[in-house]
Amino acid sequence: MNVFQPLITQAIAQGVSEETIVLLLLLPLVASLVAAARHLVGFRGFGILIPMAIAVTFVATGIATGMLVFLTILTIATLIRRFLEKFRLHYLPRMALLLWFVSLGILGLILAAPFLRLGPLTTISIFPIVILILMAEEFIAVQIRKSFREAANLTMETIILAFLGYLVFSLNCLRNFALNYPLWVVLIPFFFNLWVGRFTGLRLLEYWRFRKILR
Amino acid sequence: MIAKASQILGTNARSIDYLKPLNKKKGRQIANSKLLTKKYLTKAGLPTPQLLAVFRTPREVEEFNWLSLPDNFVLKPASGLGGEGVIIIKKRAKYAGEWHLMDDSIINTADLKQRVLDILAGRHSLHNLPDRAMIEERIKIAKVFRKYAFQGTPDIRVIVFNKVPVMAMLRLPTAQSKGKANLHQGAVGVGVDIATGITTDGIHKGNFIRYIPGTKRKVNGLKLPHWHKILTLAVKAQEAVPSLGFMGVDIVFDKKHGPVILELNNQPGLEIQNANRSPLKKRLERIVGLKVRDAENGVNIGKTLFAERFTDRVMAEEGVKTVKVWETVKIRSADKKKIEVKAKIDTGAWRTSIDRQLAEELDLLRSDNVLWSKIYKSGLGVERREVIGLTFYLAGRKIETIASVSDRGHLRAPVIIGRKDLGGFMVKPRQ
Repeated sequence: MNVFQPLITQAIAQGVSEETIVLLLLLPLVASLVAAARHLVGFRGFGILIPMAIAVTFVATGIATGMLVFLTILTIATLIRRFLEKFRLHYLPRMALLLWFVSLGILGLILAAPFLRLGPLTTISIFPIVILILMAEEFIAVQIRKSFREAANLTMETIILAFLGYLVFSLNCLRNFALNYPLWVVLIPFFFNLWVGRFTGLRLLEYWRFRKILR
Repeated sequence: MIAKASQILGTNARSIDYLKPLNKKKGRQIANSKLLTKKYLTKAGLPTPQLLAVFRTPREVEEFNWLSLPDNFVLKPASGLGGEGVIIIKKRAKYAGEWHLMDDSIINTADLKQRVLDILAGRHSLHNLPDRAMIEERIKIAKVFRKYAFQGTPDIRVIVFNKVPVMAMLRLPTAQSKGKANLHQGAVGVGVDIATGITTDGIHKGNFIRYIPGTKRKVNGLKLPHWHKILTLAVKAQEAVPSLGFMGVDIVFDKKHGPVILELNNQPGLEIQNANRSPLKKRLERIVGLKVRDAENGVNIGKTLFAERFTDRVMAEEGVKTVKVWETVKIRSADKKKIEVKAKIDTGAWRTSIDRQLAEELDLLRSDNVLWSKIYKSGLGVERREVIGLTFYLAGRKIETIASVSDRGHLRAPVIIGRKDLGGFMVKPRQ
């Protein structure tokens, strides 16, 4: 049954980071969570990549810092988008300018961190930050295409999913479960997704949406 | 109508059971490009709005003579989704090179050029792929709709499956939707009875409504003009693009030219169920596998199968009527005469059925009244049974329904009336 587990113990003893193994084992589980949120609950979301990338960055930065950086990026991007609207620029240069503002904004935040007593921000690694900054394009693209309200809803759903993903990645009981029973953690998402992939019933939110014709 | 969850078409079932098996890549390409749609529909001889200009490159935008455009027109991305990126020009403004939008604000040539360039760069297309822009004539609002729609032209969405019009909805632009007829942009959706083209219930931004928002006008009771033609056009659109087995057809009603097909949708929205207060999956399952001969046959099937049963309303007005087991009903013949026959009220049967000889005498077996036929195997051998459209009067109520044809010559009554048509009646078991 547990052929996996001794291998993992050995790898960790040899110096492979436990974090790497846990994240790799839990990654499919979080992906399944995102898939289930779409097909069983009815979240529309941004696909699998974005909520997961944000969840992973939250793990790397800690939830409070990650959330602060993410919300700062969103706020700057949203305000600057409205401002840039007036200049009639091509899409890509406009996005590049937007990222210009976002990067400088985050740089400003990090430079100001020691004075604002935002301790964790001063030691933060750059890659999670870069990922969060690059996510800004997706969020702004949605704002451009859809109404503000719809974009806000989608963003909210994504934050919820990213937070849930963060919980899965960082809850100690789940991490230990993954290390002790790796086979289960790998097999459960496999069969779960085969099932979700063929699920044709109503989504949870659709029961509310069609409440007038139901019963 | 109250339904079970399994009778409602949800996003999951739509995708796995209908879109994936029925809508081929070719068809999706056609529906996703308004230019391709126009090409295929025109080839099939179906009416679409007149095309005034197409832009493929920024150079064409620069070289275009904007002053050559008529007083009003519509600018669209060829591959825009859900009405996004559409600009409706109401009329010329005071100065050359300026126009009024539907809300009377002003747009000038520079603005328009920028919008076209945005479209070409893929601002409104899926995955921001480069796109084409097109300018079409603006459809003028027909008189019946004038008091219902705000600053735009209502359109009629018909869902067609297996060449049968299954469900329909009138979409009314509102102030919020900026004259556009797309529900998620804030337009009102109004359910339409497939049989008569009369509006029933409404939905606006997920709220169930009885009145057009901001007015005292009821959503129900409006009779759409040229209804039969609209349904026929919708079915013919599917015949023109058979690679879309499950499609939404958007038809606008032009003041001068009558019904015109605006666009095809390869992934029609599900909110139409809320507008009609009726479950779509139940309807779709009833016509799976039916052999539909042509558009006329398909429209007849849709009209008879999915006619709104106004029994709730009738019951509210007249109360429940009592009928006995043996009743005399009047059946309407092909030449609209009412013929009295004896009928048995049979709550053990679902569908009404009529004797073959009687049906023949009333000329109800003519081909345009036969909806479909099925082969039955029974103890008597293999038998072919037609299902026909039937109109009869029971206890003073007119009932339009479908009936199966069978040999009842040896039985006491040539007609039995099934449960399906007994809504609003109470059956007295002893005479």
